[in-house]
Amino acid sequence: MARALWSGSLSFGLVNVPVQLVSAARDLDYHFNELHGKDNARIEQRRYCSEEDAEVLWEEVARSFDLDGKQVIVRDEELASVQPRKTRTIDVEAFVDLAGVDPIYFDHPYFLVPAGDSEGTLRAYRLLVEVMGRTERAALGRFVMRTKEYLGAMRVRDGALTLTTMRFHDEVRPTEPVPTGGKKPVKKALDNAIAVIEELSTDWDPESYTDCYRERLRRVIDDKRKRRKIEVPEPEKQPAPAPDLMAALERTLQNAKAGRDIRTRPDGDGDLSELSKEELDERAKEEGIRGRTKMSKKELVEALSDGD
Amino acid sequence: MAPRSIWNGTVTFGLVNVPIKLYTATESKTVRFSEVHAKDGAKIEHRRICSKEGKEVDYDEVVKGYEVEPDKYAVLDKDEIKAAAGDRGKVVHLQEFVDAGDIDPIFYEKTYYVGSRDDADPYRLLHEALSKTGKAGVGRFTFHDREYLIAVRALGDALALHTLRFHDEVVTADDLEIDSGSRKPSQQEVQMANKLVDTLYTEFKPRDYEDTYREAVLDLLERKARGDEIDLTEQEEPEQGDDLLAALKASV
Repeated sequence: MARALWSGSLSFGLVNVPVQLVSAARDLDYHFNELHGKDNARIEQRRYCSEEDAEVLWEEVARSFDLDGKQVIVRDEELASVQPRKTRTIDVEAFVDLAGVDPIYFDHPYFLVPAGDSEGTLRAYRLLVEVMGRTERAALGRFVMRTKEYLGAMRVRDGALTLTTMRFHDEVRPTEPVPTGGKKPVKKALDNAIAVIEELSTDWDPESYTDCYRERLRRVIDDKRKRRKIEVPEPEKQPAPAPDLMAALERTLQNAKAGRDIRTRPDGDGDLSELSKEELDERAKEEGIRGRTKMSKKELVEALSDGD
Repeated sequence: MAPRSIWNGTVTFGLVNVPIKLYTATESKTVRFSEVHAKDGAKIEHRRICSKEGKEVDYDEVVKGYEVEPDKYAVLDKDEIKAAAGDRGKVVHLQEFVDAGDIDPIFYEKTYYVGSRDDADPYRLLHEALSKTGKAGVGRFTFHDREYLIAVRALGDALALHTLRFHDEVVTADDLEIDSGSRKPSQQEVQMANKLVDTLYTEFKPRDYEDTYREAVLDLLERKARGDEIDLTEQEEPEQGDDLLAALKASV
């Protein structure tokens, strides 16, 4: 099981459930190391005192804060002294409608798992899962992890309690300064846009999306290892605004209804060069084009155009 | 003051092209410290040292390597890393729409605000349509040579772009192997707990929750700056109640 990042108890009224916090997000990224170009040796980051120009050990490092130009140095024990009293507890303060919490507040997701296997702990955990699983509400509570206080929103997902840390209100910027466009759309345009959205609506199915970036990076690493040539794709150009918004909308709606690529233009089969390499591969596969796996994007576009 | 944009590009919605700019929507207000040498309060510098030569290395001599087997690296240059970014460039195609409320909070990663550019009417149109339907457009977005899965939805008068985690980046409850214990909670316990949920029910108002710890740290710094003695008190652990039903009854 995942490593516990915090342990303490979840306090709900007078009921305390010993819990551990584990991350609900997995890091699947490819991580690179810094190397010295000359000899491919690993680069180490070491701490130096800027005054003495000598290496400093971690034990000799202190934390400093610039308070209006005055340097204030604090020790870890001093920081610990201002942590809230019940630092090992998540106190449920309130229940709120989950739909009323804007996703912009969500920061990092965790699971809360029961700590230990005592009957009392497991039963109290199960009680919370049962009760919270039946409501569309999230429980809010605060806790301190390492040297920061967090506000967490807790709810049930697949029979387990999750906790998502939340941003505080002053960490979310106001939307007012953001430029939000021009003329209010006429009714017909809006109706068409809504019809397009309805036509292209589908259930949220996270498994239908794969991380193509991760796959491409794996291929690049593989190619490099086998000393194959690495092709850098030409980025897609930004399309110019449609000259006639209403006509563009109507055509999009027709495309969506006919199950065509929604960017297909009336004067032909759409601009193939706007498609990604993956999408072109897919089409080439459908049309049974040979040697497609070795083709560049440009060659794929040409092969697909010839077929029509 | 108008905020500074961090990216500009085009969102497409069929043949409708919406020129946009992106803005930062969130910022951490956590008190950040810098590292100093305890002895003399001098700033600590992080220097890059070659592990073989033990000598400092200039940044332009540093390359990026992926460890393919112990101590063996595939070294990639900037352009080669770019090859993984794909060919989307500055275009985000919204090709599918989902109910915004159906995306579980666990998937949300980071949020940006989307602002309009020169040809601003299509922006208004997309905003109104998303707002009326409660839908989010799903697509892919390339930022700093990395491609993200994103959802675009209406937020107030503006549009918000959220980066989303991929399904395999999310831990499932099955991975956790939670022991469910032998006894189910009793009907009475469930009823009492439900009552407690109702008692604590309130409307979510972000301003009701201040970062009191941040305030406490800033207060500590001010006291230290004045030269006050800092009281290093011990913290208390809560008592663990044994009788679930009695505890619930006392809570309601």
